[in-house]
Amino acid sequence: MTDSRTSSHPAPTEEEQAARPVGTYPPTQELLDAPDDPQARAEREAQLREAWKTPRGWRYLSAVNNSEVGTWYALSAFGFMLCAGVLALLIRVQLAVPDNDFLSADRFNQFFTMHGSAMMFLFAVPMFEAISILLLPAFLGARDMPFPRLSAYGYWCFLIGGCFVLGSVLFNVAPKSGWFMYPPLATEQEGIGPDIWLLGLSFIEIASIAAAVELIVGVIKCRPPGMRINIMPLYAWYVLVVGVMILFAFPPLIAGDFLFELQRSLDWPFFDPDRGGDPMLWQHLFWIFGHPEVYIVFLPSIAIAAMVVPTASQRPIVGYSWIVLSAVGVGFLSFGLWVHHMFTTGLPSLSLGFFSAASQAVVIPTGVQIFAFVATLMVGRVKMIQPMLWIAGALAIFTMGGLTGVMLAIAPFDWQVHDTYFIVAHLHYTLFGGLVFPLLGGVYYFYPFFTKRMMSDRLGRISFWTTFIGFNVCFLPMHLTGLLGMPRRVASYSSEMGWNWLNLLSSVGGFIVAAGILIFAWDLVRPKRDQPLAPRNPWKGGTLEWSHDVPAEAWGSRSVPYVSSRYPLWEDDKFLERLDEGRFYIPDAPEGKRETLVTSSVDAEPQGALPITGPAWCTIWAAAFTGGAFILPVFKLYWLALLSGAGAVACVVYWLWTATAQVPKAPDRDVGLGLRLPVYVTGFRAPGWWAMFITMLGDATAYASIVFGVFFFWTARPDFPPEGAAHADATLIALSALGFVLAWGATITAREVNRRDRRRAARALIGAGVLCTLGAAGAMGLALWLPGMAPSSHAYPAIMYALGVWVGAHSGAGVVMLLYCLAGSWAGKLTPRYDADLVNTTLFWHFLCLMGLVTALMMGVFPRLAS
Amino acid sequence: MKDQKPPYRHRSLWHMVLAPTVWAFHFVFCYAVMSVACIKLGAPDIARLGVAALTVIALGIIGFLGWRAWVQWDFRPGDNYKHDRPTEAQRREFLGHGGFLLSIVSAVGVIFDALPIFIIESCI
Amino acid sequence: MWITLPLLAGCSGAQSVLEPAGRDAQVLADLFWVMLAGAVVLWLLVNGLILYVTRIAPQPLSRRGAEALIIGGGIIFPAVVLIGLLVYGLSEMPKQRAEGAGLTLRVTGHQFWWRVEYWPDGADAPILAANEVRLPTGQRSEIKLNAERVIHSFWIPALGGKTDMIPGRETRMSLEPEKPGTYRGQCTEFCGESHAYMAFGAVVMSPEAFDAWLEREAADAVAPETQQARRGQQIFLSEGCGGCHQIRGTPADAQVGPDLTHLAGRTTLAAGILPMSHSALRDWIADPEAFKPGVEMPGYGHLSDDDIGALATYLMSLK
Repeated sequence: MTDSRTSSHPAPTEEEQAARPVGTYPPTQELLDAPDDPQARAEREAQLREAWKTPRGWRYLSAVNNSEVGTWYALSAFGFMLCAGVLALLIRVQLAVPDNDFLSADRFNQFFTMHGSAMMFLFAVPMFEAISILLLPAFLGARDMPFPRLSAYGYWCFLIGGCFVLGSVLFNVAPKSGWFMYPPLATEQEGIGPDIWLLGLSFIEIASIAAAVELIVGVIKCRPPGMRINIMPLYAWYVLVVGVMILFAFPPLIAGDFLFELQRSLDWPFFDPDRGGDPMLWQHLFWIFGHPEVYIVFLPSIAIAAMVVPTASQRPIVGYSWIVLSAVGVGFLSFGLWVHHMFTTGLPSLSLGFFSAASQAVVIPTGVQIFAFVATLMVGRVKMIQPMLWIAGALAIFTMGGLTGVMLAIAPFDWQVHDTYFIVAHLHYTLFGGLVFPLLGGVYYFYPFFTKRMMSDRLGRISFWTTFIGFNVCFLPMHLTGLLGMPRRVASYSSEMGWNWLNLLSSVGGFIVAAGILIFAWDLVRPKRDQPLAPRNPWKGGTLEWSHDVPAEAWGSRSVPYVSSRYPLWEDDKFLERLDEGRFYIPDAPEGKRETLVTSSVDAEPQGALPITGPAWCTIWAAAFTGGAFILPVFKLYWLALLSGAGAVACVVYWLWTATAQVPKAPDRDVGLGLRLPVYVTGFRAPGWWAMFITMLGDATAYASIVFGVFFFWTARPDFPPEGAAHADATLIALSALGFVLAWGATITAREVNRRDRRRAARALIGAGVLCTLGAAGAMGLALWLPGMAPSSHAYPAIMYALGVWVGAHSGAGVVMLLYCLAGSWAGKLTPRYDADLVNTTLFWHFLCLMGLVTALMMGVFPRLAS
Repeated sequence: MKDQKPPYRHRSLWHMVLAPTVWAFHFVFCYAVMSVACIKLGAPDIARLGVAALTVIALGIIGFLGWRAWVQWDFRPGDNYKHDRPTEAQRREFLGHGGFLLSIVSAVGVIFDALPIFIIESCI
Repeated sequence: MWITLPLLAGCSGAQSVLEPAGRDAQVLADLFWVMLAGAVVLWLLVNGLILYVTRIAPQPLSRRGAEALIIGGGIIFPAVVLIGLLVYGLSEMPKQRAEGAGLTLRVTGHQFWWRVEYWPDGADAPILAANEVRLPTGQRSEIKLNAERVIHSFWIPALGGKTDMIPGRETRMSLEPEKPGTYRGQCTEFCGESHAYMAFGAVVMSPEAFDAWLEREAADAVAPETQQARRGQQIFLSEGCGGCHQIRGTPADAQVGPDLTHLAGRTTLAAGILPMSHSALRDWIADPEAFKPGVEMPGYGHLSDDDIGALATYLMSLK
């Protein structure tokens, strides 16, 4: 593989452009058995330790390794959960006796809103992300996540946002319209509560999407060589499905938040029925997110069960394909259920029936998973290790929740119990059974992996039984309470209703649950320095994570293994020895850099050994500035927010410039076992390309949600567009569309031309692209403004303007990316051969061009047809 | 050894999820047809016919995909359910088996989704 | 919050889904018992199996048995049961939403009270009332729902399911009561600070009794007969209560707040949260905010005890 090229050399073909793996793959038995030189091994270990060492002292906060970030994430999410739990206890104190005045109605309303919001947004999904960040690399024999700084950035955003949102409770300004914030109540609420909810949570949702991107890329691109898709651990399958679900479920909420905030700050009437808006649009957008959300929360915990059950049965899982099928099936079908949260809104029976049927259909793949676990337990010989107790309890509780779910899917029955305590019971049974219990069991199971010590078996059992009994004492009566007519979200009730002793029982139960959780929390954080280190594989599991080092080493995995089975620790007795001696891939760090192996998506064939990022401060700065950009508008400090946003962009640019797509000194490196791999890849071999692709899929979904809003208004409102309304100027819209197409064309051509080493032409084209984009965005803005469309007068101009703002913001991002490439080309970072930045920018531009064209159609063509 | 390269679907995760993707499109179009027909036009028969047509098309496509996945799964007497070896054949059969099972789930989903048109006759 | 006398409608069961007094509620209660039985059996089966397998440790199941369990238990059995349940549920939907024949009610949800209009068959003007709903047995009555400002939900568990009231659109439902009696309804969509304090009495009467009642309701207010009551009426008018409340047959004709023409004929006061009694009325007039934080009605604590007493006497005479 040669490196030398002169500018007069004929243009490299796509094939030559990309460096390819060279050498032996798959590794031969000879290579695997080759003996090892202890001196060389010691040197390699020293290199690895140096490259991967955790920063000390106050520099510890700059760490980005998955072990650190994952631990912080998990502990923060757990802390938020405890806060939300305290809110729940206060609610139960208020409801323990009738006509209570322990909490005023206003305070009560803030508390139940924050309990739900904190549990769902600050605990449920972040905990999944935290655990996955901690575990996924280990499951895949990798050393770290593919984008460590992105994980760190996501974490700091989450922490800042979470403290801000939850902190509002202490200042009596918390949002108080329910965790679902229905307009018009929430849009018209005075004070900053709803803005805190909207802006604080949008900020956190972005962190969630970042995590989803990482997890998907990790599963698809960073598996160990040989781990084909059919021998991937089930946890990885679940992470993949859930990551994709997050990608398609969160954006509709982000779109809804976008419209909601525009209404609150600029009075654009999307949800105001007096001006052509409709409160139902919010309900649709919220629940299109809200329903998949509960499956996003439930599937990863079942994934933990999928890892614990085989270990407890000491045999491989039965029905691997069935479980994969269920996970994917649930992932898809769960997007078709959302209107079952809106059964009482008066929609036509045909539509409601449709969603009623879909809600029943999803039971089938859900049930298949459960039966696959039961079958595994039945085919093996079960050892009732402590984590299995939690899993068994989880199944008992979850099946109850699932059965009430089947009842609720029958729409007429839901018409009776919707918005009563029956639903509160159902949701807590599914959430505790589907999330909390498997999570706690998972912590017991993986604790020796995280900390090399065991938790207490005795305390674990006490905690389990206390929580299990307390949970049922609290929530089982609620089914009856709801059937006796007690609505949800009521600050108090009268003593004549017959709900007294049921509520008292539930309140007592709530405190028992709290005791159980506290026992668990104590067991988690109590000092264990005097305890001996746990054995390396205390549960005798078969999957890769149990090859971890005891005592702990920061490098994650001593070498990246070649895998040929689902349970390598059970099936290959030489495996651990080879791994420890570094006789697999990348056992060293000759340039002192952190690296990961990148493999193909389905067959895990090695494609590259790529550097990944190490400790940094720019991620914390970026998170702080991003926080400012979202939090300052709550206090109406819009200019400061804009400045903060610019600061965030600057930090991100700095981060990307200094740590990604660096031109390498040598094009490839020897990774061991007779293989040389490139250290720089572009296109769909590259994690960076996938990150851009996945992010844009999420972004496109949010955009599609706004377009859905246009069609929704057209269907639901007779006055959309209103008689005689001004439409966007057709000529300017056409020019705008042209501008986007030209900019897109310029970008693609720039990429091609750059590859042929005609750098000046490439730079000129990039410049042209920038100008066309600015022109296109400007034309679109003028097209809306010139005819006098007033967005605060009616939902029609408002949503056209919303589309315009969206495209405008994305055009800005497109311009920044093009300028970044331009700068890179001048500075020698972007070369004809090493052009990942331009490739990824082109990918962004495919999406932006499409958005621009669709928006032009929506603004210019659709309203004229619909009038 | 095959003469030509094996088809892309033998190593494609995208193909494995084609059937549920068809379900997703069926769902979106049915939802759109029902909304427009009932809310905008007040015409339940258009809604029911539209859904019926979409269902027939969707089931047809899913049936085809399921059959193709069945062939890829290569069902023979013996052990067909374990695909735990990292060979090309097992990977291909795994993707086929997964695709086949997903076709069944998708067909069930499509049928469930269409059920209301046989039972509910008005937009009320 | 305190209550002096037990609510007439407040004995347990008045707001219960499991004590149906109407056709729809009866069907749903029966359905619930059937589903509950099924759910209990299934839950015991699945968890019993898990218990058996993890505790009693029998012979390991064969692979074929395991596959049969997954296909039979996970796919075939649920599919059959669910389709059966679904077909029943779907067929019930149009029946519960059938158009009412005859009487139509129009209920509008406000923060935090209910405006009720009765439109008998063929009427061209409604009979206006508030905070209580009365229905005749033996027919399905149509109920049209609207909302002012925020979303509410209208629910009488003893009679049938609920339907949301959404500003900017009119939703509809229908109910077919069967057993005369006094029941209770409550708002079941979070609507603001006093969402918990927005309920209403639901009185079901025989058709004859209902017609007689509706005739009385349509009439103008009873003229005050005692000295106290007349003084109360004067205070009502001079304090500006007529700026929000209508009492037909007097100069007070605003419709910002609940119609009070036949206030004392209702079973509860202040939208279901207080008994219809003299002392409750006095406390309410003096300080509504103490019972319903965020309520729009101002307090009249600046009036003397005698004045408030007279007001209450007058209002209690409006049967």
